[in-house]
Amino acid sequence: MKIVAVTACPTGIAHTFMAAEQLEKTARRLGHQIKVETQGSMGVENELTQADIDAAGVAILACDITIEKMERFERVKKIEVSPQEAIKNPEGVIAKACS
Amino acid sequence: MPTEFSFNFPLPNGLHARPASAFEEAARPFACEITFINDRTDAQASVKSVLGMVSTGTLPGDPCRIVFDGADEASAREELRRFVAEKLPHCDDPPLESIKVPGEISLPPCLRDAGAVLWKAKSAAPGIGIGRIVRLSDAIVPDDRGAGATVDAPQERECLLNALLALDRTYAERMKEITERVALGLLQAHRAMARDPALKAWLLAAISGRNCTATQAVLAAQDHFAGVFTASASTLLRERALDVRDVCRQLIRELKGSPPGPPVVLTRDSIVTAEGLTPSDLLGLDRRFLKGLALAKIGAASHTVILARSFGIPCVIDIADFPVARWEGQDAIVDGELGLLAVGLTADARRYYEMEQWRLNARHVRAQRLTALPGQTADGARLEIASNISRPDEAAPAIAAGAESIGLFRTEMLFMDRNEAPGEEEQYQAYSRALRDAGGRTVIIRTLDIGGDKPVAWLKLPAEQNPMLGSRGARLYPRIESLIRTQIRALLRASVNGQLRVMIPMIAGVAEARWVKRVFDEERARLVEQGTRLDSVPLGAMVEIPSAAFELNALCHELDFFSIGSNDLIHYFTATDRGTSTALDDPLAPAFLRLLKKIVDDSHAASRWIGLCGEMGGNVQCLPLLVGLGLDEISVPIASVAAIKDRLAPLMAAECRRLLTDALDCTTADEVRTLMQQREPRRPIPLFAEEFVVLDSRAATKAEAIKTLCDTLYVTGRTDSPRQIEDAIWKREAVYSTGFGYGCAIPHCKTGAVAANSLCILRSQEPIPWGDDGASASVIILLALRDNDEAAEHLKIISRLARLLMHETFRENLISVKTPAAMTAFLAEQIGLSASKNPASAVLNLEV
Repeated sequence: MKIVAVTACPTGIAHTFMAAEQLEKTARRLGHQIKVETQGSMGVENELTQADIDAAGVAILACDITIEKMERFERVKKIEVSPQEAIKNPEGVIAKACS
Repeated sequence: MPTEFSFNFPLPNGLHARPASAFEEAARPFACEITFINDRTDAQASVKSVLGMVSTGTLPGDPCRIVFDGADEASAREELRRFVAEKLPHCDDPPLESIKVPGEISLPPCLRDAGAVLWKAKSAAPGIGIGRIVRLSDAIVPDDRGAGATVDAPQERECLLNALLALDRTYAERMKEITERVALGLLQAHRAMARDPALKAWLLAAISGRNCTATQAVLAAQDHFAGVFTASASTLLRERALDVRDVCRQLIRELKGSPPGPPVVLTRDSIVTAEGLTPSDLLGLDRRFLKGLALAKIGAASHTVILARSFGIPCVIDIADFPVARWEGQDAIVDGELGLLAVGLTADARRYYEMEQWRLNARHVRAQRLTALPGQTADGARLEIASNISRPDEAAPAIAAGAESIGLFRTEMLFMDRNEAPGEEEQYQAYSRALRDAGGRTVIIRTLDIGGDKPVAWLKLPAEQNPMLGSRGARLYPRIESLIRTQIRALLRASVNGQLRVMIPMIAGVAEARWVKRVFDEERARLVEQGTRLDSVPLGAMVEIPSAAFELNALCHELDFFSIGSNDLIHYFTATDRGTSTALDDPLAPAFLRLLKKIVDDSHAASRWIGLCGEMGGNVQCLPLLVGLGLDEISVPIASVAAIKDRLAPLMAAECRRLLTDALDCTTADEVRTLMQQREPRRPIPLFAEEFVVLDSRAATKAEAIKTLCDTLYVTGRTDSPRQIEDAIWKREAVYSTGFGYGCAIPHCKTGAVAANSLCILRSQEPIPWGDDGASASVIILLALRDNDEAAEHLKIISRLARLLMHETFRENLISVKTPAAMTAFLAEQIGLSASKNPASAVLNLEV
């Protein structure tokens, strides 16, 4: 499946990137295609285009702060989790997204 | 006819007992009436009365005048003028505000949860002290004779006069036993108060006028004079009432024939608690056992506190309603960091304070190690950091403060404040002491630089219209030839006691240098003939007259080394004078920088050593340009040595040279200033270093681990307020725990309390419970980032690290590396950065 994700955390220096890495690593291992946007203290990186999102089967929003450009996800199926959950149990998060 | 001069009071703490006693000392030799007038308060007093002077309520910046009336008024005026210009500014400590006193801070969790009884107070002197509580009762000596008894006035009078004489002797004795500068100054001030004619007159008038005993008179005088202070507008002067009480109490002791002994005998490590404690009481306590002070009614600016601070004794004040009877004899801790008295100590509390003592000791040890390093830039360019001194006994403190040598020993002080020149033997002893105390390091001793702004009364030199441009320095030497020959003989003889160099002041050209050199060689030959053992002594000169700068080529044939006297040089160069400050005498003016460049380049072209010993050397703002000039040495006041070394270490000499080249192309000092603001020629501060790794930590709780990491940032100089970082870390932990499983945690925060973005790692011996869900961690990575810091490179490193933490092999390596060095190398390799060794402190640079 094609997955897009956004990660973001309160200080934007640690959990944002740990969650992104965990989702990317696990999704690829499970045979999915994934692109993860990070909204951390360096701003938005690896930004998802509308085309990326429209082509995706699901969006994982692993955020515990309000993120920028939320309107991009209006037309796609999405699940919302905390970054901690993505870090501790990425398999579970991805399974939930693909179900 | 009376004569006067005016000035603005310079000292940040106002006119209190210590500066007043220095005034009195300067005025004592003169017979004329010398009156101090404060034009703001309209108060006036005799300069010979310490109590009177202090009662004028003089605050920093007050417009003041000194009026002289009497036979020797002219010389008194000269002497006091010089005193005000040169000595007075050094008569006090820096303003109290600049001494760090921790503000309101929440209790660190490891102390809050330790279960000890914490008594809130205010910190007055930093540090942690542990000992048994000893109570000192406030022993005001009462008059044991009841009121109404018949008083034998002549007898009381005699008792009083004897007691005053005895007290003067007691002070003299105690001053012999004490070596610390602050304590000595204080005793001197108290002694001056005790022999103040105003006090004596007041006491005698009270005995005859009020029909009271000597003791009653002293108690009344105490109330009277202390009352004057208490009415002062300045907190600081109000707190000086304690000094009056102290002196009066000592006087009563003398009246009772009981010389001052210790107020209580300490036999083991002790915390002394008291309502009030006078400076004399403190000096009487055995400092081997005095580990802390907890005082109720003593001000933060009192001399008791100033003494405690100078002795390094932790002290808290304003301790209200402490039930001392309940805790007397039990162990307690004075916490001068948080401003607490801790009693009912538990094992956890003791553990917390052991960590605190480690934190303070480790920072001290590190600061001392850095102080001992040679002056050097980050790219390895040497710049010797020396110190200027005025007295032989300053050599040892200068070296202890980190000076690599003595760049200027001004000998004028030996010749001033006296009625005749010091003899050869006295000078020999003084120079030898400085040379010995410098312990083999170079001491540059400057021959007599008098005249101009440094008049010497007994030389009886004719008055000049413009002394700054008149007979001063070396040009005066032919007229005082025997004096100079004596000094040169004393210097040559002293040469066997250390590494001596002799420097001539105020050279305008080659002729003067040759004159001194001839005298120097003649005296040397004479001494050798007499069989005196001498070492070779390089002879050099100050470059402080512009003409000398343009005769350097010729001077290099005559002399061995040079040192730039930037103060006089800039004034002679720009036709400005020292008293009136204008924008013209700006050391950053490009014309002046070009002059300095010429002096340094010409000296080096002739292979001559060149230093700088003026005020410009101690100005941290100028330092990059001085590095760019390529000077061999700068010599600065003792108090600036550590700060200058600290600023020098991260500078890059190559960039400093480019900065100087561009500054020389500027047209105004303001342009240079702007240029320097835009370009900071320093090495970037690394995110991480080997000293930020703590392995095998015994931290057992999350709170202890976080404290250890924050303290590590304190010890390594990254922060002055580790508590503030700790607070910020706990605020972040409160959102949700940063333990993310896999045995790791990554506590982090953004804070202004850290000097630079920092990454710190702790590995504990046992797993530490960390998460809300019971997860534990044994690798703790703490990130303290600056608010609004735009160091994107650091953020990139951290995001890369955060991603790597998700990989098992990376985590296994973090757990298994054996040493901090291996940890550092591993991280450098994994995050894809090259490790660069910093020559000064072996800091690994994690810059991309």
